[in-house]
Amino acid sequence: MKRSSLWTVSERAELTEPLLTLDNLVIGYQEPLTEPISLEVGRGEVIAILGPSGVGKTTLLRTIAGLVMPLGGSSHQRVDKQGGLGYIPQNLGLARHGTVAHNVSLGAGVRMKWSLSMYGRRRQKTMEALANVGMEHKATEPVRRLSGGQKRRVATARTLAHRPQLILADEFLSELDDANATAVMDAVSPLLEEGSSLIMVEHHAEHALKYATRVWKLDDGKFSDLTVQGWISAEGGEGK
Amino acid sequence: MKARLFGAIGALGLIAIFVLSDLADGDWGRFGGGLENLAVFFTESMWPPDWSVLEARSYPPCEAQLEFTCSVGYVGMLETLKIAFVSTILGFLGAMLLSPLAARNLQTVWISIPVRILLAAVRSLPSLIWAIIFVIVIGFGPLSGVLAMTFYTVGYLGKLQYETFEGMESAPLEAGRAMGLSSTSITTNIVIPENSNHLLSQLIFMFEYNVRHGTVIGIVGAGGIGYHIINYMKFLQYDKVLALLLLIFVVVIIIDLISFFARSFVNDQGDVRRPTWLNLILKKPIESSQAESSD
Repeated sequence: MKRSSLWTVSERAELTEPLLTLDNLVIGYQEPLTEPISLEVGRGEVIAILGPSGVGKTTLLRTIAGLVMPLGGSSHQRVDKQGGLGYIPQNLGLARHGTVAHNVSLGAGVRMKWSLSMYGRRRQKTMEALANVGMEHKATEPVRRLSGGQKRRVATARTLAHRPQLILADEFLSELDDANATAVMDAVSPLLEEGSSLIMVEHHAEHALKYATRVWKLDDGKFSDLTVQGWISAEGGEGK
Repeated sequence: MKARLFGAIGALGLIAIFVLSDLADGDWGRFGGGLENLAVFFTESMWPPDWSVLEARSYPPCEAQLEFTCSVGYVGMLETLKIAFVSTILGFLGAMLLSPLAARNLQTVWISIPVRILLAAVRSLPSLIWAIIFVIVIGFGPLSGVLAMTFYTVGYLGKLQYETFEGMESAPLEAGRAMGLSSTSITTNIVIPENSNHLLSQLIFMFEYNVRHGTVIGIVGAGGIGYHIINYMKFLQYDKVLALLLLIFVVVIIIDLISFFARSFVNDQGDVRRPTWLNLILKKPIESSQAESSD
């Protein structure tokens, strides 16, 4: 969406509309994993989905991404059909045999219409996205030779390259050290300031709570939509 | 678990022996007699191989500098290699167009099932039958062989390819789908590069297969070294047949070695020191000079 000092009426209405609406959403494969979930996600939010292993955090994320059919209810996203959604799976989903630039260019080309100048623009966007995550010097390196943190940054660059309105990331920060987590979030933050939202599944709460504005807690079939402070209080002030 | 697995394999072996016994009408003595016949046939008719098949033929007159290039073995093998090469490449391209449509993880069942049926139909006729059909349609010669093996390659390679695509990791596909990449873009940018090692391996396997089958289709007049093999068989010159079979064996081994090297360029072995020819022949262990990524 274009930034303008004066928003039109339709743009203003669009801004106030929630980016994501879950309406009595029941997730699971054969049996429901949680009670029905109803909520709305606005623009610029950072949501951490927290809870122990096996409670359905990844299934919830995959259901929102449209990769798993819900058992009931619905998930409605107000994002562009092409490139409006960015999904980073737990194992990143990178093409291992491709180079770093090849992987990021997949994201860079999503919103582009074919033209002769497309390849130049695509390359430029790819390098910009790589520079955002500090990986431009690795552009020609095959992904399989990178470390875990570097791969995570490449997956982030691939997502940032198509400027999604809603980013869904599984175990986004869990495996990263402080420096890498800060680098990844610094790269995402300009997009969040422009109104995109980030929903991330996290196994460990430490990193996530630094950046989250809201926490979805899943535990034993129960779903709770909490503020960060609410989560910390519920967990006994430990923040974990 | 292990005991159950071995039990199942043993049971299957027993069933196979019972079925074989039924097919042989319980006359196991035939196997003993057969082996004796084979030994007599081999020692008296085939051995030693007659290497005159690698000498220049008396007709047509040889004008080449190297007389070997006018020999039955060279001319026949070269024609077989040409037929196998062209049909493998054309068949590979045809299969690459169809197999992404047949893979269940890339297409809906409404597309994948009809394409699978088409591939199965093409595959159900062996290359020999395709060769007979094309010899009837366009006449004797290598062109019939090329068409026959191209059709068979599409069916066979198409199945290998779509099964490879279906076995790939789902995460890259899901990431591509969620970001809105088209099906064509997912196939060309993710599926094919990620499976390049398997695709290359299958391509070279198919070339080797087509070289071997080039001998069979020659028997029905579709060109290649098989044409000469069947001629020698008609005149009971089995020592010459053996020489040509050994030539095919050597070519197949060379193709296998090329396959080994070609694949190392697209798999993780590309990151480590490649073996030398000597390593390969003497089976020396290959030391990794570079560790894999640190994750």
